[in-house]
Amino acid sequence: MGLTTRKAIYVEYPQAVPLKYAINPEKCLKLTKDKCGNCEEVCPAKAIDYKQKEERITLNAGAVIFSPGFKPYDPKIFDNYQYSHLPNVVTSMEFERILSASGPSQGHIMTLPKVPAHPTTKKDKLLAERKKDPKKIAWFQCVGSRDMNKCDNKYCSSVCCMYAIKEAVIAKEHAGDDLDCAIFYMDMRTHGKEFERYYNRAKEAGVRFVRTKVHTINPLHDSDDLSLRYVSDTGEIVEEIFDMVVLSVGLQIAPETIELAKNLGIELTSGNFAQTSSFSPVETSRKGIFVSGAFQGPKDIPQAVVDSSAAAAGAGSLLSSVRDTMTKKAESTPETNIVGERPRIGVFVCRCGTNIAGVVDVPAVRDYAANLPFVEYYTDNLYSCSQDSQDTIAKLIKEHNLNRIVVAACTPKTHEPLFQETLMKAGLNKYLFEMTNIRNQDSWVHKNNPELATKKAKDLVRMAVSKVALMEPLKEVELKVNQAAMVIGAGLAGLTAAKNLADQGYEVHVIEKDSKIGGQANNLYHTYKGENIQKQLLEIKSDIANNSKIHLHLNTSVEDVQGFVGNFKSTLLCNGQTSEIEHGVSVIATGGAGLKPSEYCYGQDDRILTSLDLDKMLMADDQNLKAMKSAVFIQCVGSRDSERPYCSRVCCTHSIDNALELKKINPEMDVYVLYRDIRAYGEREYNYQKAREAGVIFIRYSLDNKPKVELKDGKVLVTVIDHVLQMPLEIDADILTLASAIVPNRDEKIANFFKVPLNEDGFFVERHAKLGPSEFATDGVFLCGLAHYPKPIDESIAHGMAASSRAVTLLARETVKTSGNVALANPNKCSSCGVCVSVCPYSAPSFVKEGRFAGKAEINPVLCKGCGLCVASCRSGALHLKGFDTNQIFAQITALVDAA
Amino acid sequence: MANLFEHIGMEKERLQFSWISSAEAGKFTNVATEVANTIEALGPIDKFVKKTD
Amino acid sequence: MAEDKKTKVVSFLCNWCSYGAADLAGVSRMQYPENIRVVRIPCTGRVTPKFILSAFREGADGVWVSG
Repeated sequence: MGLTTRKAIYVEYPQAVPLKYAINPEKCLKLTKDKCGNCEEVCPAKAIDYKQKEERITLNAGAVIFSPGFKPYDPKIFDNYQYSHLPNVVTSMEFERILSASGPSQGHIMTLPKVPAHPTTKKDKLLAERKKDPKKIAWFQCVGSRDMNKCDNKYCSSVCCMYAIKEAVIAKEHAGDDLDCAIFYMDMRTHGKEFERYYNRAKEAGVRFVRTKVHTINPLHDSDDLSLRYVSDTGEIVEEIFDMVVLSVGLQIAPETIELAKNLGIELTSGNFAQTSSFSPVETSRKGIFVSGAFQGPKDIPQAVVDSSAAAAGAGSLLSSVRDTMTKKAESTPETNIVGERPRIGVFVCRCGTNIAGVVDVPAVRDYAANLPFVEYYTDNLYSCSQDSQDTIAKLIKEHNLNRIVVAACTPKTHEPLFQETLMKAGLNKYLFEMTNIRNQDSWVHKNNPELATKKAKDLVRMAVSKVALMEPLKEVELKVNQAAMVIGAGLAGLTAAKNLADQGYEVHVIEKDSKIGGQANNLYHTYKGENIQKQLLEIKSDIANNSKIHLHLNTSVEDVQGFVGNFKSTLLCNGQTSEIEHGVSVIATGGAGLKPSEYCYGQDDRILTSLDLDKMLMADDQNLKAMKSAVFIQCVGSRDSERPYCSRVCCTHSIDNALELKKINPEMDVYVLYRDIRAYGEREYNYQKAREAGVIFIRYSLDNKPKVELKDGKVLVTVIDHVLQMPLEIDADILTLASAIVPNRDEKIANFFKVPLNEDGFFVERHAKLGPSEFATDGVFLCGLAHYPKPIDESIAHGMAASSRAVTLLARETVKTSGNVALANPNKCSSCGVCVSVCPYSAPSFVKEGRFAGKAEINPVLCKGCGLCVASCRSGALHLKGFDTNQIFAQITALVDAA
Repeated sequence: MANLFEHIGMEKERLQFSWISSAEAGKFTNVATEVANTIEALGPIDKFVKKTD
Repeated sequence: MAEDKKTKVVSFLCNWCSYGAADLAGVSRMQYPENIRVVRIPCTGRVTPKFILSAFREGADGVWVSG
């Protein structure tokens, strides 16, 4: 970012993969002046090679996925914002670093952020003295977006509104409520899932939202403060002084990317993004090259994740015939049998660079471990997780015949699997392992008290050693994955998922409660790119009908789902007849529908329609439209209100497109769009510009001053307060279109069958809001389409492909392993009380049906999630939780207070 | 449990329950501090300790 | 916060909830008293009164169960 200087040897950024050091050729004395060479001498791994050169590698590939990303817009050319001259004008990316705990000021917000923390020059030292905690910070939206005057980026960058709100909220969290955060914007575009709620919360938290464009920043004489001049909503000129200004810079495609795309023969849009069609949103104009991320169009993280899965699905269907032909299989080491052996524990204490060793006395902890029972070997590592440490650990396990391992390092939540893999490589069962957390829960949180932190680390190691001694090798059950899929819902998203799964070689059952397929797409006219939806839909439908791997179940509902990942058994009901299908994965694509409005006199007059009704008229080429003199669109009907505090995402673009269509039919028609914020994100913005150029009149209204609709003297009268004139305006509308909300088909039955959650609005809740948008926390269940959140056709199709892509990662493995941390019943002790059967949320315990132990409890290890609820509830002591058994926890408790 | 504690003459504040989601680091810190301070205020326990000879 | 605490608190933290929060507290470098010792459990449902009592028996001055 340029906020601090980069040394000659550096790590790209803290989350870099691989997390390795690199030499900065601009700073390295050896490379620039052929002096020094120290690093080569001191590196014990002999990793330094000054002679490394750029290499050209030729790869043969069947498909290419192109994700070159974006470049933040450089605001230097905005002379009125004086980004280059004013030290307190920063970009949003720079501010992001300022907020970061690993940033130049450890997350403390200071003015003059570009002045180094340890100034060396006289000028910097003088400036550093003037640093202060800011009291007022302003954000300017649309810097380098939606702008044709200062730059050529006509599109909306889609993400800046949300990130600005986030930065403002976090800034207030860091600096306290007194910090005044003001966001200067044109339209607030929080069209993502849960974004509107975040926006509302930000307002409640006191973030100010000012709808205006600031034209100039003037530095105040003799200080670093900034004076802003802007026109307020009521037309007055306001002058306000801020300590800092953050420019919310847009996303743009780097010139190198444009160059590369041209060389690859990829067509670009006017905004320099890859040209794609709404029906194949991740395919570039060159066959076999797929695109994902911001180069496909400006987008946020979840959408980029969806795209990348979709691109993988596209590539996967092209290459399905050669799957696994070039895969290298990891070799597995046979497991050593250690049952009955006396524990021989190896303790590895990690320094984590200085993260742990900077606070905790690591050698003391290491030596302390030496005297603990059964410890055979102990050492410390600089970075236990590094590849060479892993190899060393594996070697030491064999050399010293270790049969239990303790690693005292960071958190098992992220690193346990890595160490377990090393154990397996050394031939040890991966459950003969315990990790204890002396970083996240010790050195980092007690850094002011090294002595006590060291003591705590010793305690933690002692606890881990006493637990690991009681660990036994555990078995993971391997299960075959049924190679068929079930897709619930035959809307566009579901059909896309089904088509892609079939293309990748899997049998698919598509369940549709309606008598026809296509879902909401049947009601839609054009995409925002002008593609005819019905024409494309016909093609998709015939593809589906002609695909022998796809089995359509129309007029069918899902009545019951049994089983689990890899082995589902679902009962279907069709015309009173039930049938059963078996499948390994499930895709939920239950969709949504347009809301039937209950306001604005809907249903009382034929001239008052919803957006979908108008699409129907346009599709039928209704001749009545030609004669109409005035048309009104009302936005946010049933969206962004107290009942449905979410944005329906598609309605602004939909109304703009239809307004343009009406203007095409009759250029003389007066077309009004009554809106709250126009959310034509990405390259949809062009249509908004076109509509204004075509003479469509946009009038803003606010939630507390909604338009009024009256039926009087055979007329439809719409009254709205004009936001410029601040006067009521009455429109005699020949046609009134209500852009009504998209509501989900809140399917609680399906949610229950798969144990997947619905949010307050009735949309399904995905595994992770950012990183897992196409799957559920429940293994083997995937999600796409409107059931997730309102979205336009291109995003629905990408989501369908993404769900398929995620499902294939499971199907292609052919087997799944269950966790070894499950409950186990001892039938000899069981009193058949049935408490475990009734308390288990996953139906894992049941009574043995026949044989010697009939009537006693048994646990299905596949269904068991290892929560231990049944173990705690068992009054007979018959249940054990492997890996967290009662004696192991007791051992930890005992060890904990032991040597205090 | 609280009843049992009262019965055996222990301060019921010595046992604390809370619910914190994995994203609530701030809440965790606050609750941890609060719990530690509550227990510290009660002082070392003098009942129910394992007898050591 | 720097003073040596005389007491010891045993905490049972759910692997999916509070343990994650504790990790995150570390990532954010928040500071809290050090006399808390964590036992990682798969779920608060795993905790039985026996664990709590045994913690006291072993000399804990307080027990904190957090899901």
